[in-house]
Amino acid sequence: MIDLLEQLVHGLTLGSLYAMVAAGLALMFGVVRLINFAHGEFYMLGGYAFWYAYAVLGWPYPVAGLAAVAAMGLFGLAYERAVIRTILSRTWHVQLIATLATSITLTNLAILLFGTQPKEVPTRLSAAILDVGGVRLAWQRIVVLVVAVALFAGLEWFVGHTKLGKAMRAMSQNREACAVVGIDVQHVALAAFGLSAGLAAAAAAVVSPLFNIFPDVGALLTLKAFAAVIVGGFGFVKGAIAAAFLIGLAESLAAGYVSYAYKDAIAFVVMVAVLLVRPQGLFGRRIGI
Amino acid sequence: MTRIGRGVIGIALAAALAVGLGGEVPGAGAQGAPPIRVGFASAMTGPSAITGEGVKWAAQMVADEYNARGGIAGRKIELYFGDNAGTPGEAVSAVRKLVDVDKVDVIVGQTHSGACLGALPVVKELQVPMVIEACSNPKIRDLIGKNGNEWVFRVNPDDVMLANQFAKYMVQHVKTVSIFAQNDDFGRGAAAAYDAAFKKVGIKLVSTEFFDRGQADYRPVLTRVKRAAPEGVLLVMLASEGSVFMRQYRELGLTQKLYARGSMGTAEFLYQVRDSPHIADGLVEATYWTPALDPAWEKQWMERWKVPVRIHGSLAAIAFRYAVAPAIEAAIKKTGKADRKAIRDALEEVDVANTPVGRVKFDDTHQAFINMLLVQIDNGQLKVLEKIPIQP
Repeated sequence: MIDLLEQLVHGLTLGSLYAMVAAGLALMFGVVRLINFAHGEFYMLGGYAFWYAYAVLGWPYPVAGLAAVAAMGLFGLAYERAVIRTILSRTWHVQLIATLATSITLTNLAILLFGTQPKEVPTRLSAAILDVGGVRLAWQRIVVLVVAVALFAGLEWFVGHTKLGKAMRAMSQNREACAVVGIDVQHVALAAFGLSAGLAAAAAAVVSPLFNIFPDVGALLTLKAFAAVIVGGFGFVKGAIAAAFLIGLAESLAAGYVSYAYKDAIAFVVMVAVLLVRPQGLFGRRIGI
Repeated sequence: MTRIGRGVIGIALAAALAVGLGGEVPGAGAQGAPPIRVGFASAMTGPSAITGEGVKWAAQMVADEYNARGGIAGRKIELYFGDNAGTPGEAVSAVRKLVDVDKVDVIVGQTHSGACLGALPVVKELQVPMVIEACSNPKIRDLIGKNGNEWVFRVNPDDVMLANQFAKYMVQHVKTVSIFAQNDDFGRGAAAAYDAAFKKVGIKLVSTEFFDRGQADYRPVLTRVKRAAPEGVLLVMLASEGSVFMRQYRELGLTQKLYARGSMGTAEFLYQVRDSPHIADGLVEATYWTPALDPAWEKQWMERWKVPVRIHGSLAAIAFRYAVAPAIEAAIKKTGKADRKAIRDALEEVDVANTPVGRVKFDDTHQAFINMLLVQIDNGQLKVLEKIPIQP
């Protein structure tokens, strides 16, 4: 029983990480209908921003985390202006190559700027252990879960109650109609990228104390988040979040009870199986934040 | 910004990246005699890029050192780098680039076993001598020297040689062991070698788990190790993964004795975990290089790069100093030239007795037999427990 509980703890931590990254990816797809293959690099850069603020500048943990979120929010805005806006009207082939090229460029820039040595940002909470009936976990894992839930609640409130959030929902349903009724679609897209990059940075700020930051860390994350977006129903943010937790749990249980080497393969087989049964995604909605 | 302006910036950026990630770094320009072009192949990008960075730094140090005293037999050393990304496919491209574009006379590399295995056929096809500094997959010995590929030489011992000695040490402390290894040619080769070595000495192998590099969370597999409850755990793992692994090992409260192959018992690992230097106390690593073997090199490295000396760079420097450089010198002395064939022939005759790692001399399988070391992390410091000569 303790064994199963431990695997569930691992699954929830991983699921939270995937969900925070996948939510941003789904949001971007919902608003501009484009898969941003450089999204994992938002996480990577967010991690470096957090490391710089926390370990180099010595800022308190919450301040460093918020600074990383703010920095990446600005980066997301710049990315939308510099890359996305120029390729939005082009074919999907161009969009794919452009975002992939950005991903490779950002990874190599990180090698040049930060070096190849992984950065460690342990906090007091990552070293403090909570023991609940034999299940041992670092307090930082609780932080990951709490922050993830708080962010998702905040996101839900944002898209449901604010003018900008409602505009994002509207754009996810019909971009042209939004433009016709006077919604500034470019402004909304810009905000979606800032928000998504900020979410990825928030994930990096809470997860980095547990796992290292290194230039390549975003590649696998993009893949996992992409899988969550597909399983959750393209562009459906809540679906992507739920699917990300499912993937995290499937991976953890596969690693714990079947094979660690093939855990990713098993998680992806689960994804394929879901899509065979429900090609429209788990929640049956094709688009819509 | 104009389209042309963006294009110029793009080209400049691409050029900067190309130079930074594996482009040419010429040595001091040769005057008179043509320079000797030496290629170093390692992982300059990807999850293993830390190894390539170390190799690059070490190559620059040895090239500067030799060039400062006039090069080898009056010929300056010119450096070129190939990026194998730690994978077999990219290793082929790295070799082709070094040979076809950079026209190197000899290659040192490829650091990673998979990359080495991938490079073997193309090295033979292009007929360029390659000296392996750190690939320990046992299959390599079956493919080089008299076994087929006369162009490749290996300085470091393989995992069969290491495992046989390490298992004899381990059995004095533990009777049951779990192996946790990288899911690549290095990890799988080592896991198979230790499985066989454990059987010989009577250690029971409880479980073998493989992981892909760059993993975030090792807890699921650590929970499995906890369940299996072996007396010891053998890690086939590099320092970059080791730090996260050790934190999660302690998080789960595991207390098994730790043994390692890779780069856990190294200065770079201790640097990685410097905020909790005792996290891996007691771990014993089977290796063939540690900073204590050459304090002058370590000091010079620290002064130049401001980070602790890295094992893979140091091994590349060893391969260059005690195999490649003597071979070039002998080739020039004997034939008056340092072309690929002359260097290859001279490598077969290399015999350098007093090196920090032991004697460097290749047998007919082109394998050298340097010393093996058992290094323990003791109170946050590296301590050499034993130096074990490896017999052919």
